[in-house]
Amino acid sequence: MLSMQDISMVYRTDLVETHALRDFSLDVAEGDFVSVTGPSGSGKTTFLNIAGLLEQFTKGRYELDGRDVSSLSDAQRSKVRNEKIGFIFQGFNLIPDLSLYDNVDVPLRYRGFSAAERKRRIEHVLDLVGLGSRMKHLPSQLSGGQQQRVAIARALSGEPRFLLADEPTGNLDSQMALSVMELIKQINDQGTTIIMVTHDPALAGMASRNIHIRDGQVSDVEHDTQLVAAIAG
Amino acid sequence: MIFYYLKLGWLSIRRNPWLSALMVAAIAVGIGASMTTITVNYMMGSNPIPSKSDQLFYVQLDTWDPNTVSDDPFEPPDQVTYNDAMALMKSAPAYRQVASNRSGLVLEPENRDETPFNVDARNTFADFFPMFEVPFLYGGGWDSNADEGMERVVVLSREINERLFGGENPVGRSVRMNGMDFRVVGVMDHWLPVPKFYDVTNGAFNDSEEVYIPFNVAIEYQLPRNGNTNCWKTPDGSGFEAFLNSECVWIQFWAELRNEQEKQDYMAFLAAYTEQQKLIGRFPRPLNNRLDSVMEWMEREEVVADDAQVMLGLSLLFLLVCLLNTIGLLLAKFIGKSGDIGLRRALGATRGTLFRQHMVEAGLIGLGGGIFGLGLAWLGLRGVEILFGEFIENLVTMDWLMVLTAIGLAIVSALLAGLYPTWRACSIAPAGQLKTQ
Amino acid sequence: MELGPIWRAMMRNKTGAILIALQIAVTMAIMVNAISIMQERSRMMARPSGVDEANIFYISSVGFAEDFNERVAIEEDLNMLRSLPGVVDAIQTNSVPLSDGGWSMGLQTEPGAEIQGTGVAIYFVDEHGMETFGLELLAGEDFSPGDVGWRERSDTEWPDKGIITRAMAEALYPDDPDSALGSTVYINDDEPLTITGIMKQMQAPWNGWSGVERVMLVPQHTLFGATRYVVRAEPGRRDELMPQVEQILADSNKGRIVRNMRTMEETRERSYRSDGSMIKMLTFVIALLTLVTALGIVGLASFSVSRRTKQIGTRRALGASRSAILRYFMTENLLISIVGVLAGGALAVGLNMWMVDAFDLTRLGWYLVPVAMVLLLLVGQIAVLGPARRAASVPPAVATRTV
Repeated sequence: MLSMQDISMVYRTDLVETHALRDFSLDVAEGDFVSVTGPSGSGKTTFLNIAGLLEQFTKGRYELDGRDVSSLSDAQRSKVRNEKIGFIFQGFNLIPDLSLYDNVDVPLRYRGFSAAERKRRIEHVLDLVGLGSRMKHLPSQLSGGQQQRVAIARALSGEPRFLLADEPTGNLDSQMALSVMELIKQINDQGTTIIMVTHDPALAGMASRNIHIRDGQVSDVEHDTQLVAAIAG
Repeated sequence: MIFYYLKLGWLSIRRNPWLSALMVAAIAVGIGASMTTITVNYMMGSNPIPSKSDQLFYVQLDTWDPNTVSDDPFEPPDQVTYNDAMALMKSAPAYRQVASNRSGLVLEPENRDETPFNVDARNTFADFFPMFEVPFLYGGGWDSNADEGMERVVVLSREINERLFGGENPVGRSVRMNGMDFRVVGVMDHWLPVPKFYDVTNGAFNDSEEVYIPFNVAIEYQLPRNGNTNCWKTPDGSGFEAFLNSECVWIQFWAELRNEQEKQDYMAFLAAYTEQQKLIGRFPRPLNNRLDSVMEWMEREEVVADDAQVMLGLSLLFLLVCLLNTIGLLLAKFIGKSGDIGLRRALGATRGTLFRQHMVEAGLIGLGGGIFGLGLAWLGLRGVEILFGEFIENLVTMDWLMVLTAIGLAIVSALLAGLYPTWRACSIAPAGQLKTQ
Repeated sequence: MELGPIWRAMMRNKTGAILIALQIAVTMAIMVNAISIMQERSRMMARPSGVDEANIFYISSVGFAEDFNERVAIEEDLNMLRSLPGVVDAIQTNSVPLSDGGWSMGLQTEPGAEIQGTGVAIYFVDEHGMETFGLELLAGEDFSPGDVGWRERSDTEWPDKGIITRAMAEALYPDDPDSALGSTVYINDDEPLTITGIMKQMQAPWNGWSGVERVMLVPQHTLFGATRYVVRAEPGRRDELMPQVEQILADSNKGRIVRNMRTMEETRERSYRSDGSMIKMLTFVIALLTLVTALGIVGLASFSVSRRTKQIGTRRALGASRSAILRYFMTENLLISIVGVLAGGALAVGLNMWMVDAFDLTRLGWYLVPVAMVLLLLVGQIAVLGPARRAASVPPAVATRTV
């Protein structure tokens, strides 16, 4: 499903050269649920940006769904993101001026679906996350957990093969976090590949596999919740 | 506290130099455009003789054609006939009154080698000078004996005295005009009423005349007239005498009436005079005489040009656009500062203090806009002067009132523009802005 | 196109949009009316005076000496002027078109003081008048030397012949203008005068007069003390003749002064100076106003872009291409501008109706409204291009930034 080989990412300014990732390699199989952990500044966000085609990397090779995406143009990358990747952000990233309906509609518009198709999908995913009755509401009228559910609905609306979640429960209290995690787990159960970046070992433990990033490199590929908990703790 | 607000405002202005410059520029351009046209309109509509404008009355007698249909049926002519002017001069009960008309004379300099030249002249009576408060540099006007005795006396303008006598005191010397010698009795100081209220018929914004001679002398020697002349009826017979006795109007007549009683007496006299003239077949229309004070007369003659009013209207709309612009930019700026505002609220600032703080900032921007706008208005007036030339040169100076108006208008505009953005900024909840996002 | 969501998002944050739309509306109202005034003025300025403007100049002569014999001076002056090499012809007259000072009378087709005459501008000329002014006779005949008399300032009698413009013929005989030739009209209520010629066109001295095309030439020399010589030069020789003529006239008689020598071109310039200035001022106002509005759009759009950076990043992450983001801001501006120009159209027409009422301006041409709409929509699109491009260059990785 996803294969990264010797990916390096270097940020250059006039004064400093920062290696956010160095010779980073990772393979994720179809249907996997991978959690990515690591201390602040370890390169988690850079990994996420590269995996989600939000950022170009300096060196290496990246295949997504059997296709080399290393040298795609900006427009092609937009298309791949739109069709294959769903995003869940820590800050939800809902557009405050749009209703729930219009928020979920955003990626579908870029996809070029017909109005009827969009309507069908929007209603379906909003029902799925339990907010079908509040489509006309604005994000500010919802609780944080509900907002994140909308964001998940938005991510799912395009039926992506691959879901990227960035601290999906970072801004939620534990009760809400749990219900959001259950939703994500459900999605994974239906066959969607998920990569979730988190600093919370308890959440990482819900994944089928955990990788730990330190100084821009995978330091511990194997799934070991106890160890990860100790390191992060 | 005001100094603290001024300091905060200044810091805030400096924080976004481009945005601030854009706001100051928007206000400056709006003020520049509107002050240019406001000044021209203000000058056109200004009171040329404020000390006694409500005691000076322009006399209109309706001697006109009973068959005219093209203009308003009851609009009396804007000047009077010779016979009527002389009758009023002789017996109308005014504190002072004066008939005058415009003319042009050829002046022959003392030095025979210099070529003669034309001068603008006014034929008038002794009361002209005290009545219109003409300032004198040397000597003074003539007295009514000179009018009756048809003395060849002349009052010179300061400018023509510079030209003829190098600015020295010429009283008693003589000036040769149209082949006759005139004795100089006085030299005016600068005198340029704007509008030139005493003769708007021949150009409300013309310069004052260069020489002033007794009306009776001009009649006696049949000196040329070059002002506006209107006749509804051909003179009976040929010759100057026939013209004088005709129904042609060519004289401006002013009366000084110090109170309501004098005005009513004068009106009664005009009515009686009209009735008496009707007996000999004149004044064929219904009684319709008028006494207009200076400002009433300026209004009736529509001294403020339509073009100036159109430009004034358009420039005020222009200012509105600039203000809308400023509102938008201030809104952008104040909302961009919402973090700062939220913090101040959390630290105990009341809405009132924040409101005052931001209004002071808006006022500072207005002050800047006003100062630059004043410069632009000055440039605008120079531009108008270049474009329109001599017609307008007496109208494009800004007095202190205009300068203060410009700054005041700019500050008021900026405060008005600042009201909504400030209100929006101050309604930010103290807590909401402290969280990220 | 995602018009619906753009519109709905805009309605959640109306203030900025309303401010821009209002600016565009007022700008459009000013623009349309200013252009309408400019059109009116330039139409006025484009009217021909009917005379050979390029080659004509004139000069005034004022006698002042007691022994000045005006009649002799005029005869001598005209002989001298007409014999000068380079001069096509010359006349003595009272005024010229566009000079703003002249003589008018009323003509009527029936005698009687109770009848309202039709106003007509009078030029006193001799048999050289048509040639000097460069006028075209449509019908009838020119004056002959025998027709020309002398008029004192206080004379009230009129000659028995006159040549009128076609426009005057139409005003006198609206049903059958051709019947004007040879007809008798009345001047001074009951003095008969025969129309002996119809000329194509000539303007009265007052350019703002509603009857500016109504002119009559009468065969008389005037003895008014002050007079005016009109000289028509051969093409290209006007400027060389002018100082020559001034010098000769000044030297030939010490009992008069000559002054105010002017070309017709200069007279036209002076006559329409305030109209020309009005056009220049309005052009400047429109340009400045458009600039202010455009800057306002740039300012508010930039603000809106920076406020929505995160949102733009999110859209990019969700699959929006750069051009989709560019299109979003261009479309948003287009929607605001359309609201603005629609309101502006109404405002422009309202303002015009008021100005027509208050200042006697002409009604605006209907096409100005759509033209201004398109123009302002274009200005809006150009102004928003910069901020929109900045929006399009927001990297998608902004979406995962936490602050």
